[in-house]
Amino acid sequence: MSLERRNIDIEPAVTDLRSRTLSRLPGDFSRLVYLASSRDCNTGKYYHDGLAFHFSEMVVSRAFAECHREVFGRLVYASLEELIEELRNYISSTDERPEDFLKSWKHLGSYRVTIPSECDELEAEVFLSNVKIALAMLETRHEGSGRTFRNRD
Amino acid sequence: MSQLLPYLVLGLLLLAVLAWWVWGAITHRGAAEVLSPRQHRSSVRSIGLQRDLGERIFGPQDWDFVSRETPSEIQRMFQRERTVLALTWLRRTRLQVSQVMRAHVAVVHQSDDLQIATEIRIALSYFLFLFLCNSLIGWVWLHGPVRTRKIVRQTFQWAAQLRGVFEQLMARVDPASCRVAGTNFNQGTVRN
Repeated sequence: MSLERRNIDIEPAVTDLRSRTLSRLPGDFSRLVYLASSRDCNTGKYYHDGLAFHFSEMVVSRAFAECHREVFGRLVYASLEELIEELRNYISSTDERPEDFLKSWKHLGSYRVTIPSECDELEAEVFLSNVKIALAMLETRHEGSGRTFRNRD
Repeated sequence: MSQLLPYLVLGLLLLAVLAWWVWGAITHRGAAEVLSPRQHRSSVRSIGLQRDLGERIFGPQDWDFVSRETPSEIQRMFQRERTVLALTWLRRTRLQVSQVMRAHVAVVHQSDDLQIATEIRIALSYFLFLFLCNSLIGWVWLHGPVRTRKIVRQTFQWAAQLRGVFEQLMARVDPASCRVAGTNFNQGTVRN
């Protein structure tokens, strides 16, 4: 860790991001997707116009990275049952049909891009493996029940 | 093959008991008192992080849920996925302990205060650990992590303590090198 990196206080930006944005999203999986989608895949930096109005781009990017790691960590150590519930909540929050969503995520592996840049390689493997199993379980449940996800809420 | 399994389990248990005894012998002669609280907390924390991921992989909670809620096809998928993760975790833990051992050997080579009895115990513990770890890799590969989780948990509780003992011994022999080795070890845990 460089000296420059240690001296920058990102805590106010992290607090702002948590309280104004992340707390409004329905669950950790939604937060993870949101944080990952704020990242430029070419540079690995995060961008957010609203937060950049109050903080520098570098602070915003680091605050996003910090929250991204935090949310990811919670999902890695969540039980499979909790992860399935998180995933189900996220699917319900989108306008997509659950069967289309599950098919797309399973075949395209869209969840792979949600992993933070700086994370333990084995934690990433645990996460990918658990999401893969969770998707298979949700697909089986969905086929078996013939219900939409919203009907379960 | 299945006739040999009870003997293999018995052998592993005996080795674990022996390893436990060796560890006890080392810690009674260890140097915990020369470590500052800060150094000690740091060692415990790095080991704690590693153990959490092992517990995540080998823990019974997910398997209980999968076996209760899903058809056999998903159960087989879960077993396959967890076997891959368990093998990766075991290999990584073996690598990390080996790195600590290599660092310890490098420090000991430069030390004037060499204690032959302690070094023999450490070497014995290390080779026992390697034997157990390789046995567990074979066991998990054959039977999956669900059926081996108790043995694995017990072995790696011991391995975590062994790593702590290595770090304590290195702190006694050469505190500066210990800090370097500790840093490398943490990086291996986080980014490996």
